[in-house]
Amino acid sequence: MPVDPLRVAVVCSSNQNRSMEAHNILSKRGFDVRSFGTGTHVKLPGPAPDKPNIYDFKTTYEQMYNDLVRKDKDLYTQNGILHMLERNKRIKMRPERFQSCKDQFDLVVTCEERVYDQVLEDLNSREQETFQPVHVINVDIQDNHEEATLGAFLICELCQCIQHTDDMENEIDELLQEFEEKSHRPFLHTVCFY
Amino acid sequence: MASGDQSKGGTASQYLSTDQDAALDMTTSEKVVELLNQASLISTEEKLVILKQVQELIINKDPSLLDNFLDEIIAFQTDKSIEVRKFVIGFIEEACKRDNELLHRLIANLNMLMRDESVNVVKKAILTLTHLYKVALQCLVRTKSVSDMQEACWDMVTQMKDDVLALLDSDNDGVRTHAIKFTESLIITLSPRTPDSDTPKKHEGDISLDKIPKDHTYIRYDTLSEEGKFALEQLLKFMVHPAISSINLTTALGSLATLARQRPMFMSKVAQAYETLHANLPPTLAKSQVSSVRKNLKLHLVSVLKHPSSVDFHGQISTLLLDLGMSQNEITRCTPATAQPRKRLQHEPFVEGKRIKMETALAEDDEDKEEPAPVITPKPSSSVGTQSSIDLTAEYLLPLLSPENVANLVLISMVYLPEVMPASFQATYTPVESAGTEAQIKHLARLMATQMTSAGLGPGLELCKARDEEVKEEEGQSEISSKDPLIIRKYSAVSLGQAISVLGGTYKSPVTEETPQIKKLPEPILPTTQPKAPGASGRKKVFKLADVVQPFSEVQVEKLINMSVNRILHSEKAIALSGMSHIRMKLLARLVTQFEGGMKDDLMQFILDDMRSRSELAFSLLYHEYNEYLSQQPSGSLDSYEQCLFSLLSGLQEKPEQRDGLFTKLVLEAPVITDSALEVIQRYCEDESRVYLGISTLKELILKRPSRQFQYLNVLLNLSSHEKEKVRSTALGFIKRMYEKEHLKDCVEKFALTYMQFLVHPNPPSLLFGAGEDTEVAASWTEETVRQCLYLYLSLLPLNHRLVHELAAVYTEAIADIKRSVLRVIEQPIRGMGMSSPDLLLLVENCPKGAETLVTRCLHILTDKVPPSPELVERVRDLYHKRVPDVRFLIPVINGLEKNEVIQALPKLIKLNPIVVKEVFNRLLGTQHSEGSSSMSPLSPAELLIALHNIDSSKCDMKSIIKATNLCFGEKNVYTTEVLAVVMQQLMEQTPLPILLMRTVIQSLTMYPRLAGFVMNILARLILKQVWKYPKVWEGFVKCCQRTKPQSYNVLLQLPPSQLASVFERCPEMREPLLQHVHSFTPHQQAHIPSSIMAVLEANIRKQEPEPEPQHPEIMEERQHVSVPVPQEEPPAPAPVAFTEPEPEPEPIPSRREVDEPMEQEETAHAVLEVTPEPASQMEVAEEATQSSSVTEKTEEPMEESSAMSADVADLPQVVSEDADTDPGTSNVD
Repeated sequence: MPVDPLRVAVVCSSNQNRSMEAHNILSKRGFDVRSFGTGTHVKLPGPAPDKPNIYDFKTTYEQMYNDLVRKDKDLYTQNGILHMLERNKRIKMRPERFQSCKDQFDLVVTCEERVYDQVLEDLNSREQETFQPVHVINVDIQDNHEEATLGAFLICELCQCIQHTDDMENEIDELLQEFEEKSHRPFLHTVCFY
Repeated sequence: MASGDQSKGGTASQYLSTDQDAALDMTTSEKVVELLNQASLISTEEKLVILKQVQELIINKDPSLLDNFLDEIIAFQTDKSIEVRKFVIGFIEEACKRDNELLHRLIANLNMLMRDESVNVVKKAILTLTHLYKVALQCLVRTKSVSDMQEACWDMVTQMKDDVLALLDSDNDGVRTHAIKFTESLIITLSPRTPDSDTPKKHEGDISLDKIPKDHTYIRYDTLSEEGKFALEQLLKFMVHPAISSINLTTALGSLATLARQRPMFMSKVAQAYETLHANLPPTLAKSQVSSVRKNLKLHLVSVLKHPSSVDFHGQISTLLLDLGMSQNEITRCTPATAQPRKRLQHEPFVEGKRIKMETALAEDDEDKEEPAPVITPKPSSSVGTQSSIDLTAEYLLPLLSPENVANLVLISMVYLPEVMPASFQATYTPVESAGTEAQIKHLARLMATQMTSAGLGPGLELCKARDEEVKEEEGQSEISSKDPLIIRKYSAVSLGQAISVLGGTYKSPVTEETPQIKKLPEPILPTTQPKAPGASGRKKVFKLADVVQPFSEVQVEKLINMSVNRILHSEKAIALSGMSHIRMKLLARLVTQFEGGMKDDLMQFILDDMRSRSELAFSLLYHEYNEYLSQQPSGSLDSYEQCLFSLLSGLQEKPEQRDGLFTKLVLEAPVITDSALEVIQRYCEDESRVYLGISTLKELILKRPSRQFQYLNVLLNLSSHEKEKVRSTALGFIKRMYEKEHLKDCVEKFALTYMQFLVHPNPPSLLFGAGEDTEVAASWTEETVRQCLYLYLSLLPLNHRLVHELAAVYTEAIADIKRSVLRVIEQPIRGMGMSSPDLLLLVENCPKGAETLVTRCLHILTDKVPPSPELVERVRDLYHKRVPDVRFLIPVINGLEKNEVIQALPKLIKLNPIVVKEVFNRLLGTQHSEGSSSMSPLSPAELLIALHNIDSSKCDMKSIIKATNLCFGEKNVYTTEVLAVVMQQLMEQTPLPILLMRTVIQSLTMYPRLAGFVMNILARLILKQVWKYPKVWEGFVKCCQRTKPQSYNVLLQLPPSQLASVFERCPEMREPLLQHVHSFTPHQQAHIPSSIMAVLEANIRKQEPEPEPQHPEIMEERQHVSVPVPQEEPPAPAPVAFTEPEPEPEPIPSRREVDEPMEQEETAHAVLEVTPEPASQMEVAEEATQSSSVTEKTEEPMEESSAMSADVADLPQVVSEDADTDPGTSNVD
């Protein structure tokens, strides 16, 4: 369906690592993709596990980058956060919160079950108007760079397969079953309506 | 198509406005024309952009243009591109929303698009209809006077609605999903909004049932309400489909939640549906799908829980949520704080409203309904009215769930557990925490009630059904009444307001009937065919029998007959009670034998169902059949009787358990055993579990039915070669008994011999393969087929020894394969006959030509465990001496022979195959078997060994003799030191000395080193016997001395000088140690040594005088240390060492470091020495003497040289050789 490309949203908690990695890859492959976070804040690792860097969704990646450089350039270079932010700011200005976005999608891919629950809760709490369906699929990805990359490729493959189906809604079930078998991870999958 | 498309539209308009700046002067109309012109020519993608611009222009910017360009845009609905067609649908929706009137024109187009070939277009159309349905309804409600066009439009919308509902069964998942959403929206529209409805703000103004005036001229409130309910039923029905896809299920779950929130009147149904679903997750779901669905269920349950109207169902919902893994705390948090149990006011009016109407309708109904329905109608809307069937069933179950009952239920259901745990169970299983509490029992009752209700069981369901039916009936009546315009009109004046509205609706209906779509309209408006008409008319006719009665058709007659017979058939118990069973039996038997048709089968089936208690009936039937046959004697056929007997017998065979002798009784009491019956009997016999019963029945038949005795016997005999072991052995057992009967004996014997005679054919006859004819097939004999021919014969053999000669006769003619098989199978019977059997002795005595192997085999079998009897020995001896001088005959009876006979036969015996030789020795030495034969041997072990030594070498080659002696040495248990000492003693005393004497001495010494002293004695005495005169023995003598030094020194010193010199010639290395030995003597002792001896001893020293002496001791020491003779010390012996390297000759430089090297040389020289001078046999003595010390059991290995005549029949006892026939051995025997 080249005329009506799949509108994809990739959602993780903070719209930094997993969703952005997938956003990056998917947009390179020519998808109509956007990425979101569902958290109330954007959290990035800090100097200690209990001291994360917390920003709100209005903060741009640039600002975060500068903030972290100022705080401890070495640490954040070494743990790859700066590199990630650099990548992110090339993709878009700032992280976006899924709950604040009223645009419609055909497919929402979430990166962990908690995010999936939040997305579902949000979509179901919206007032239904058009009854346009949106499929929500959860692919569990651990929140680190390597898994994010692997997960992004999996998501990308999934999206490509869905894009190539003649009748997505009719085939997605089977497709997901195949993917589950292939990737040895379970996918949660549901449909919501706008 | 609200926000999404609008936002798109928004961007489009922005895009457009820039365009517009460029063409300011253009009017919108012109612009649209231009765009449309462009659009028809360009690619899909651009076309879409342009069409969206047009849509923006004519819908939002200048709606007045909409009408003008409508047709142009709609024309795109036939576009090739799916996207363009979808755009058209979107356009229709927008246009209709903008101008509702357009709906009348566009609905047909939408209808067309809904049948599009692309599912995506269809889905879009369904979505649009979801919105337009409301628009259409709204539009209709607004107008007071409805035009034809509007009516037609609404009819079409209604029809499309039905079409979409039907799409719930579509093959396409996505289409179904959209249909569900449509249904959801439809139900909401077609049900009244109530104060507690949780309506989204954006849908605040939407039409719903409560906004529809009850006095509308065209649409009817209650029809719509029914349609809404019907849609809900459809949705609920759809949800419980066992193969529903996970997405559809999810969608439906969401829809139900929406329904429950927006129309709380459905709360109970929704809660029940959730409950049912939770307990019955579709088995088709995969594991992850189950978790997705459960997640959804949880989400929706929570959303329902939050709704205030769910308060009555909080119990159910919390239980479900607990099961879904939510904690009690979370649940409490989700429960609204104002959860005060409120009255279910909201939906009572709905029901009530209907009720009133119904009552009025009923009131109008006339009195021809005999049931007192009208009286009970005003039901108090009590709990019964609202309680679901699950509630009722659960209530019913609750008191029944005693621990005992529950335990029983669990035990019973264990049996039905599937082998693999289904994914849905795995996901839903939560350990029971509060077992036994009241809450848990209630929960359990509900769970069970849910299951029962979904399975269509339980008192609750029945009650509800009854209630529903009541309601339906009432409704049906009201419908009927309203359908009859006349009646309504008649009563309209007195009816209530609602009734008037009904009247209004029906009044219109004749008009709508004319439009073609009317057929699709919901039933109430349809003029149905009068179901009540004939009854209601109540006209009475004069009764005439002929009018009512018609002659039955043949089929009917037959049916009636069958039914009567069946009644008699099945009144078994009742008649038995009255004591008239014998009449019933007779009646049945007669009826059935006289009528053709299916009755027989029925009766037969009936009998077979319980053969045991109905056997009398069976016999009765059988005799009747036979009687029937006799009564038509000259031309009568047995077919029917045969059929009857056959069915009975084979029916019995099919019964799993048949312990009593019913079968035997039936067979023996049947007037005639037909061929097919005999076949059944045979089948019985071939059935391993029944074989005994079958064959004993057969035996009875043989004995008690002499007229066809031989036919039955033949069946039995045929079974004797049956492939199943059990069948065969049973048959053989019975045949043996038959064989004892004088009059049957011949027949049995003939049969056995005939079968055995088959063996002389080149191929097995086809008879053996079950085929009836005697044609030969090209198959070759196998072990199996050979045995088949012999089973009977062999089992008769022990009973009649005479038969053995027949076997010999057949044997001589048979081919090799058969011979081999025969030899294998005769063991048991021959042993059974025993060696005293005169016939066997006769066989041995006569030994027909070609049967030698058979006779040998018999002999072996007979003597295997028992020593041979003198008679047997006598016959064998006779045979051997007079007719067949094959020594192998003697082997089985060897222990029965005289000593000298054995000794005579020995040379021949030991030339046989090594395995056979071994066997012979085993027999002779008594090492063969643990029991029996040991005492009988005519030769003692010592005698045997001596006899071996004394075999004339002209009769037997030395190699075989050596091997035979080796066999003896192998039996260490038999040849103990004592035995060997006796042997050596005796051999030594013989003159001349046996060639192998010294070999045996050396070997004995190797076996028992403690014999050394005795051997020295022997050696000394051999000197007296001038051992050097026997070159071979002398050779061994020297070797022995060499081995036994230093003990042998004293013996050596007793040799005459020339002989001593000869010893040194052979073993120069002996000289020095011997000299040393002599030097160690006391002078007195030395004086005893003759000077001639000393001369021989010191001969060398004198020669070596020039050598530096002092070195010697050292070297000597060295040499002695390694205890190896030192060749360098002596000059090379003249002859024997002539060809060795000349190295020893130049005297080695006596330096320390060179010691090693000469040592090596000396070893090689030593080896050479051993090999060279000896003649072949002697060499072997040495070789084997050394070998046997390490490997005592060396008998087999080098045998092949001596096997010139070994590989022949003689190896029978161990392996019946591969070629008993073709082997030259047999010809030898001749």
